[in-house]
Amino acid sequence: MSSTPYPLPDAALGEPPAAAAGEPLLELERLYHRWKGPKPPVLDEVSLTLRAGEVTWIGGRNGVGKTTLLRLAAGILLPQRGSVRIGELTPRARGGRYQREIGFLSAGDRGLQARMRVRQQLDYWARLAYVPRAGRAALVAESMRQFELEEFSERRVDRMSMGQRQRIRLAMAFLHAPRVLLLDEPRNSLDDDGYRLLNAQIEQAAARGACVLWCSPRGEDRVISCDAGYTLRDGRLERIS
Amino acid sequence: MLGIMRRDAILFVSYRTQVVAQFLGPLFTITVFYYVSRLLTARTFHSPGGYFGFVIVGLVIIQILTLSLGLMPGSVRQELISGTIERFLVSAHGPVNGILGTMLFPLCNALVAGVVTLVLANVIFGLPLAATSLLAIPVALLGVIAFMPFALFLVALVMAFKQIASASQFIVSGIAIVGGLYFPVTLLPGWIRWMSDVQPFTPATDLLRHLLVGAQLVHPAGVELLKLVGFSLVLLPAGLTLLAAAIRYGQRTGTIAEY
Repeated sequence: MSSTPYPLPDAALGEPPAAAAGEPLLELERLYHRWKGPKPPVLDEVSLTLRAGEVTWIGGRNGVGKTTLLRLAAGILLPQRGSVRIGELTPRARGGRYQREIGFLSAGDRGLQARMRVRQQLDYWARLAYVPRAGRAALVAESMRQFELEEFSERRVDRMSMGQRQRIRLAMAFLHAPRVLLLDEPRNSLDDDGYRLLNAQIEQAAARGACVLWCSPRGEDRVISCDAGYTLRDGRLERIS
Repeated sequence: MLGIMRRDAILFVSYRTQVVAQFLGPLFTITVFYYVSRLLTARTFHSPGGYFGFVIVGLVIIQILTLSLGLMPGSVRQELISGTIERFLVSAHGPVNGILGTMLFPLCNALVAGVVTLVLANVIFGLPLAATSLLAIPVALLGVIAFMPFALFLVALVMAFKQIASASQFIVSGIAIVGGLYFPVTLLPGWIRWMSDVQPFTPATDLLRHLLVGAQLVHPAGVELLKLVGFSLVLLPAGLTLLAAAIRYGQRTGTIAEY
């Protein structure tokens, strides 16, 4: 079982520690989202509960709404109808308390500061995530170790390969030990070693009581073992495993 | 926010020629205006430095406006495109704090550039600086707080409508005219002069000219200072509210993820 080298934000806030296995963590209830124009809703009354220690996969064709669902869960988008909650917290909770619980990986290769070095990039993210100063350097070092980025620590991001950048983006998603991990096509550009590291971190996160939501178009892209699988089609989730 | 300022400082110095250009650029501008000022003998400029002293303070303020009002919307738009605004949205720091953080380095950088401009004008071209020059620092900071809402308005428009780069340049040019940055507002025709009184740039400019180069004030310093504080108190909350509303609009409609 892995643990973080700094006190979890929950503990710092005097809130309950991570949920016991099987307890509901992220609850999406009757989510509805429609993009502008005369199109049907991309999400139509979608409900999903992610439980502590579980890994969930959602598949579906391109453009079916997987990314929209993840963005709603991450609080990037606000639901037009329905609700998103982690316990009593909603994405609009004060002090970024909801966001402290979230680790988000967007699809593609965006979100990095191209001219920062790897260590600077992770340190910057740790500051945005309100990781306490005392444990920040150790946490950044541990994060680089987890994704085998130490040898690139002083290399600028724009001088790295796509797969190496994906490891940095994954390290940012996992760095602050969030209880809810939302991963949009996390295997993008990863080689076999990267995939192995990703799976190991997902297993460790689940073992410490986090829940993981992995979205990708194809089943073979998903994590080797997961607790539930769904397909998103015509705005609705269908359970497939 | 200091983390974002640190990030921007790292990115700024990573472009070394940009750092050099920032200090060389004002030198050329000062040189041009120094020789233009030698052609002018008008009595309008009641300061020891004449038109040169008058315009140098205007140039310093233009620098601050260009780096905050002029460039901020563009850099926020760049952050939207590169996906780094998304990182603010999923971080505990939050998008409003994140955007305020992105303003810190450009504003500090602009203040440093302003000081460099004044020092160059003093050392190379002999501009006499007033003994009250140090008092200009708190006034400049207050001026920056009063300018910030305008940058917030523009950034809010970027968040909602994405592309307003030309509008920000238009506004900076407009302020240069009605704020009296290059010439006294008394030269403006009556139908437009009222605009000089309804924004914080004119009192900030007048106060800074008074403190830096000893220019005479039309109104007492206390009145100008009160105007500046008043504009800040009214406009800053309005700017923050508008920015938060624009972000919420983008999150609700989904356009925050577009660029």
